[in-house]
Amino acid sequence: MVEQKINPVATLSDVKRINPLIPMKAKVTRIIDETADVKTFCIAKEEAGRFTAPFRTAPGQLAMLSLPGVGEAMFSATDAPEHLQLSIKKVGVLTDALHEICPGQTVGVRGPYGNGFPMDEYKGKNILFIGGGIGLAPVRSVVRYCVDHRDDFGQLHLIYGSRSPADLVFKYDLFDTWPAVRDFKVSVTVDRGDDQWKGNVGFVPAFIEQLRPDPENTVCILCGPPIMIKFTLGILDKLGFTPENVITTLEMRMKCGIGKCGRCNIGSCFVCLDGPVFSLAQLKTMPNEY
Amino acid sequence: MQRLKAFPKAKLTAVLEMMIQKATVWVPSMIAGVSRFAPYRPGTDIQMGTNTAISPKEALFPSTEKIYKFSAYGIDGDFEPVDPSVGPQILFGLRSCDMQGILCLDDVFLTRGYVDDFYGSKREATTLITLGCVTPGADCFCASMGVNPAEHDASDAQMYDLGDAYGIIARSVKGEALVKDLMAAGLLSDTDKSQGPTADFVLKVDSEGITEKLQQMFDHPLWDELSRKCLNCGTCAYLCPTCHCFDIAEKKRNQHCGVKIKCWDTCMFSEYALMAGGHNPRPSKKERVRQRFMHKLRYFPERYGKLQCTGCGRCIAKCPVNLEITDVIKLAGEAKSDG
Ligand SMILES: Cc1cc2nc3c(=O)[nH]c(=O)nc-3n(C[C@H](O)[C@H](O)[C@H](O)COP(=O)(O)OP(=O)(O)OC[C@H]3O[C@@H](n4cnc5c(N)ncnc54)[C@H](O)[C@@H]3O)c2cc1C
Ligand code: SF4
Ligand code: SF4
Ligand code: FES
Repeated sequence: MVEQKINPVATLSDVKRINPLIPMKAKVTRIIDETADVKTFCIAKEEAGRFTAPFRTAPGQLAMLSLPGVGEAMFSATDAPEHLQLSIKKVGVLTDALHEICPGQTVGVRGPYGNGFPMDEYKGKNILFIGGGIGLAPVRSVVRYCVDHRDDFGQLHLIYGSRSPADLVFKYDLFDTWPAVRDFKVSVTVDRGDDQWKGNVGFVPAFIEQLRPDPENTVCILCGPPIMIKFTLGILDKLGFTPENVITTLEMRMKCGIGKCGRCNIGSCFVCLDGPVFSLAQLKTMPNEY
Repeated sequence: MQRLKAFPKAKLTAVLEMMIQKATVWVPSMIAGVSRFAPYRPGTDIQMGTNTAISPKEALFPSTEKIYKFSAYGIDGDFEPVDPSVGPQILFGLRSCDMQGILCLDDVFLTRGYVDDFYGSKREATTLITLGCVTPGADCFCASMGVNPAEHDASDAQMYDLGDAYGIIARSVKGEALVKDLMAAGLLSDTDKSQGPTADFVLKVDSEGITEKLQQMFDHPLWDELSRKCLNCGTCAYLCPTCHCFDIAEKKRNQHCGVKIKCWDTCMFSEYALMAGGHNPRPSKKERVRQRFMHKLRYFPERYGKLQCTGCGRCIAKCPVNLEITDVIKLAGEAKSDG
C-alpha cells in the first residue's frame, strides 16, 4: 500500500483517560479584552478551592470549548499551570455568546487535541515568528514556550501585523513582556495607522521584505489569514527559507477532534489529529483543498 | 478441525427464539416496507434471501445517539455522561461485504490512539455471524473489491447456505459459546454438505491499482463531468456500510437543559465543511463528489491500508441519478492521469 507521508504525532496521554468526546466541567476565571472583537478567556477547573488548568497543552495544540446550550468550537490553546488560555474572535453564534459571558461562567472543555509544534526539533535554532490578526494566538503559545526555555533557542524575532493599532492583540506581550527578553526582536506593523501610532504602517508581507530576516539556521512559524499566508510564502521563498523550515497551522471545520467524525480531512490526513501544525513541505504533498 | 454443524432452514425461528434469550438479535428483515437489520421479535418478517437496503452499521453506530446531557442555569451548568454501552447483541446473517464494512469502521473508531467509546462498547458487546452468499444481487460487486462473498474470516461464526439448511462454524470464543448453546438446545446436527459455488457476478469492475491512479487525478476534469448529475442528497452515504462521518449537535429540551447527540452526517452536504466567515474548502458539487470517491478509493487506503468500498452495491441500487461507484472506478482507470 501507499506510504503515509504525514506522521500522526498527536499527544494522547491526557485524553485517553476519559471519553474523548465528553467535556470536562470548568470555569472561566478571567476575561481579558484584547480588542473590540477579541477576548482572552482563562479557563480552569476547581478542585478543593484551588484553580488549575483542566489539562496541559503543548504549543500549537487545541482545546474544544463548549458553552452548554449554545455549542462548541475548537480554539488554539496557550498553556499555563493555573489555567488554559483561549483567545477568541467574535465571528458567529457561539463566539458572540462567549463574548457576553462573565468570569465565573461554567463551560465545558475537552482536549488537548492535535500534534502541536515539534519543539525538540527546533532546539539550537533561531526562530522567526510571523503572525497576522488572531493568528498570533497559536504563535503566542510557541513564543511563551521559547521564552520559558530561552537557552534552548538562538535569536528570536516576531513579526506581527493587524488591521489597525486597535486590532493588535496581546499588546502587553508585544510591547512589554517580549521586548524585555534577551535577543528577542519584536517588529509590529499595522495596515492603517492612527494619530498615536508611531510604528510601521503596511501589510505584513511587505514588512517582511523590508526587514529581510535571515534564513540561516532559522525555523519560521507562520499563522494568519489565508491571504497573508499566501503572499508571505512567496517572500519567504525569495529570502531562501526552505519548505521544511516554514511551519504553519491550518484551520478546518472540526467536530470530534480525534480523527473520527471525518470533518477536517485534507486528503488522507485529519487536521485535528495529524495537524494543525504542518510544514510547508508536508502541505505540498497534500491535496490543495483547505 | 471442527465439523460443520447445521440446522434446517425451517428451524430458523427456533434458532432465533433461542438466541434472543441471551441477546438482542439483529436480523435482516422488512420493517414498515424498509429492508434493514432490526432486533428480532416473534413475528418479524425475516429476509434471508437478499442483503438489506439499509446497512447493518446502525447496530454499532446508530444514526442518532445521545452522548451526554447538559444543563445551563445562568453562570452554572453541568455535563452528565450517558452510558454508551448496550447489552449483548448478535448481528445475524451479515454478508461478507458488511463484515468488511465493520472492519473499516473498526479502523476509524478503534485505532489511531483514540477509541470512540460509543462505537467500541457496542462492538465489544456484539457477536457477528456472517452468512455466505451463493447468488449475488444485481448491484453487488464485492468480489471486485477483494471481498470473498462465500465467507469472511473476521466474523465470530460463519453460516453457509446449504440449500435447505444453514451450516454454521465458530471462529472465535464468542462464536463457540453460541454454537455450544445451539448444540445444547438440540438445534444442530453434523453435516457433510458444503456450500455450493457463488454464482457469477453481473456487475464486475477492475479496481486493481485504483488508489495509485487516483493519486494522480486530484485535478482531473473527470470530476466536473461526474459530479454534474449528483444531487448531493446524501443517500449514498447514509446507506453505505463504511461511511463514518458524524456531526455533534445539540438538542435542547427547554431553556435550561438538553442533550448532545452524535448523528450521521455526510461530506455530500454543502454546509459540511463550511467555516465561520463563509470559507468553504469544498464549495461546489465537484469537490464534494471528488471527496466521496477519493475517500473511498484513495484516502482511506492511504490511511488504513484497505479500500473503503466493499462492493455492497447499496449506493448503486438507490442513487436517484445513477452515479455509480463502479463507473467511477472504470472511468478513473481508463482516464489519462493529469500528473
Ligand atoms: C485548529 C483551529 C484553531 C482555531 N483557533 C482559534 C483561535 O485561537 N481563536 C479564534 O477566535 N478562533 C479559532 N478557530 C476558529 C474557531 O473555531 C471558529 O471561529 C469558531 O468555530 C466560530 O464559531 P461560531 O460558532 O461563533 O461561528 P458560527 O458561524 O456560529 O459557526 C457555526 C458552526 O460552524 C462551526 N465553525 C465555523 N467556523 C469554524 C472554523 N473555522 N473551525 C471550526 N468550526 C467552525 C462552529 O463550530 C459552529 O458549529 C480555530 C479553528 C480551528 C479549526
Ligand atoms: S451520488 Fe447519488 S445518492 Fe449520492 S449524493 Fe449524489 S445523487 Fe445522492
Ligand atoms: S460505496 Fe456504495 S457499494 Fe461501496 S460499500 Fe458504500 S454503499 Fe456499498
Ligand atoms: S474534527 Fe473530527 S475528524 Fe477532525
